[in-house]
Amino acid sequence: METWKEFDANIVTHSAAHHLMAIADLLAKLGYARVSDVARALNITRGSVSISLQPLKKAGLVVQDENRHLRLSARGQALVEAIKTKRRIVERFLAGVLGVEPVQAEIDACKFEHLLSDESARRLVSFLRYFDSDQRRARHFLEAWRSFDQECAHEPHACSTCEEGCMAEALENRGPARGGAR
Amino acid sequence: MSRLTTQNIVMELNRAFAEEVEAATRYLHLANAVRGLDRLLVEPVLKEAFTETIQHAEVLAQKIRALGAVPKLEISVQCPAEPLSGREALRQALTFEEAALECYQDILRRVEGDVPLEEFIRSQIAVESEHVAQLKELLDE
Repeated sequence: METWKEFDANIVTHSAAHHLMAIADLLAKLGYARVSDVARALNITRGSVSISLQPLKKAGLVVQDENRHLRLSARGQALVEAIKTKRRIVERFLAGVLGVEPVQAEIDACKFEHLLSDESARRLVSFLRYFDSDQRRARHFLEAWRSFDQECAHEPHACSTCEEGCMAEALENRGPARGGAR
Repeated sequence: MSRLTTQNIVMELNRAFAEEVEAATRYLHLANAVRGLDRLLVEPVLKEAFTETIQHAEVLAQKIRALGAVPKLEISVQCPAEPLSGREALRQALTFEEAALECYQDILRRVEGDVPLEEFIRSQIAVESEHVAQLKELLDE
């Protein structure tokens, strides 16, 4: 399947991920979750929540009982755990390794926590474990990387990374980094 | 129950206002998303509901203005470009109409003691209940 179609076919959209996590958070905090509670938590209308929950119920991720209380199925709960874990992994990688500002790292992690594949997440965890296992080595690694990064001459013909044009330059030309919606 | 402050009442009414505006937007989309012969039957129902819902929103906006505030609207609607059957459209409408009804029921519990507002919310509940009943009847549920 082409990548963009796979993206479209993903039942756990950005919005769906937030609905699932809101239900999980409410259940942990209040012991119950109703449509109204989710609406307040996400600051959206009940109508929106009800409509958004339809595919999640159909997919068996969310269950609504006769009192209209919501709960997550075992699969829904596992999905929430996976999303939260992926958010932590990405946040940790962006802020802890790449040095992205914590607030921006949180925003970016939020954007693709639900899209990151299990395989990529596992590779990131493996990398973080390696990185964290030796503080001295990690420090040297970061120092070496940062000094190398400063030396970018914006010359793609002489760069083994930027075969199709200077990537650093292309990003700089976009103007200030955009945070985007969460 | 302690009486709500004007600010809290406005907040509650803003919530209902958002529900109504969002529902109207969804009705407008649904009325144009139904395909096939169903369209002949369902389109007028959805269009009428759109008109009625936008009128409800307007009444709520007037109430908010009467309390000395400016209506605040925070909505987020995404209506995919997918054709729907008449039944699917009515099912969606029932989903957000029930949500609007619950919103008014919730507000009623909060404004208990404020007689004019209580009466207004009760009348909204009556209208929304009718909508829900009508949709259920059409869906044969």
